[in-house]
Amino acid sequence: MNVIIVGAGNLGSSLARKLSDLGHRITVIEKNPKSVSLLPRGRVDSGVMTVIHRDGSTGAAMIEAGIANADVFIAATGKDSLNGLAAQRAKTIFRVEEVMTAVKDDGARTLYDSLGITTINKASIAADRLVNMLVEEK
Amino acid sequence: MYLVIVGGGKVGAPLASSLINEGHEVFVLDHDPDTVASLQRELGMIATVGEATSVRALQEAGASRAGAIIATTDSDEDNLAACQLARSNFDIPRTIAIAHSPENAELFDIAGVDLVVSATDLVLSNLATGLPAHPLIRLMPIADRSQELVAIKLPAAGTVIGHTLSELTLPYGTKIILMVTAEGQSKTPDADTVVEAEDQIVALSPANSTSELWELLTELR
Repeated sequence: MNVIIVGAGNLGSSLARKLSDLGHRITVIEKNPKSVSLLPRGRVDSGVMTVIHRDGSTGAAMIEAGIANADVFIAATGKDSLNGLAAQRAKTIFRVEEVMTAVKDDGARTLYDSLGITTINKASIAADRLVNMLVEEK
Repeated sequence: MYLVIVGGGKVGAPLASSLINEGHEVFVLDHDPDTVASLQRELGMIATVGEATSVRALQEAGASRAGAIIATTDSDEDNLAACQLARSNFDIPRTIAIAHSPENAELFDIAGVDLVVSATDLVLSNLATGLPAHPLIRLMPIADRSQELVAIKLPAAGTVIGHTLSELTLPYGTKIILMVTAEGQSKTPDADTVVEAEDQIVALSPANSTSELWELLTELR
């Protein structure tokens, strides 16, 4: 699959690495050229993984990232509202099949869920995992 | 009407002040404590510190009883999120937002913001009305944009006024197609047609010599 990820922080970089391991074509959009240290350097240098330094919420960045052929769009910056705007553009303007966004705030989660955007909340996933581990131990 | 304004900066502060003068009840939410302090000094206790995109902050600002939310922060994404959160959580009747980039204005419309104020469009339309009185109007591109149809209004004190068309050294390839007098009478141009003050000239111009044509026709004595 062709996957576009906006944001090369912890979540974006780790998603990029794991999806790339599975053989998917990854394009990462990260505004700050200094913030890509968590991406797998070798794959970026060899061109297996593409990195674009632009504001990932803009249509121009999405077009450069090849959104016309993208199967999945994931907004993974640390800012809920920016993720939400980027995800809505990917979905309503570019009609990407699967659009996902990271959220921190529950209000944002409910909102973007209602718009047909899959939401990922790192904290709640981590909490669920921990609770499951504790329950299994008992 | 009770109105929640998100963002108390360059737009939000004067907006709050003018809405209060018009008799509305206003509450401003801004993330910056200094901005809020200055609003409180000038307008009273009508502002509080909070994130535009926090449901709790919107609730504390009274979004559930507000007639409208007006999002005026510098950040388009926050303006959109504030409007959408206010609508989905508090069923606010009217959402109004500033969009700084034109493509975001389009997205805000699609996303259901009731009134989108496009900052770029406002600036452009204001600039257009303030432009010089003898503008170049590009009517349409022709032949893959290698040529274009343009209209140019001549100044009263132009160097070309009083001359016949054959006396003008037009850029190569330029064809004057139509002339319209200040009174609205059209003249079919030929070599002996005299150029008069405030005529409008419609010409077919090679795209790369249009500015040369404009300079020739609008040069002042």
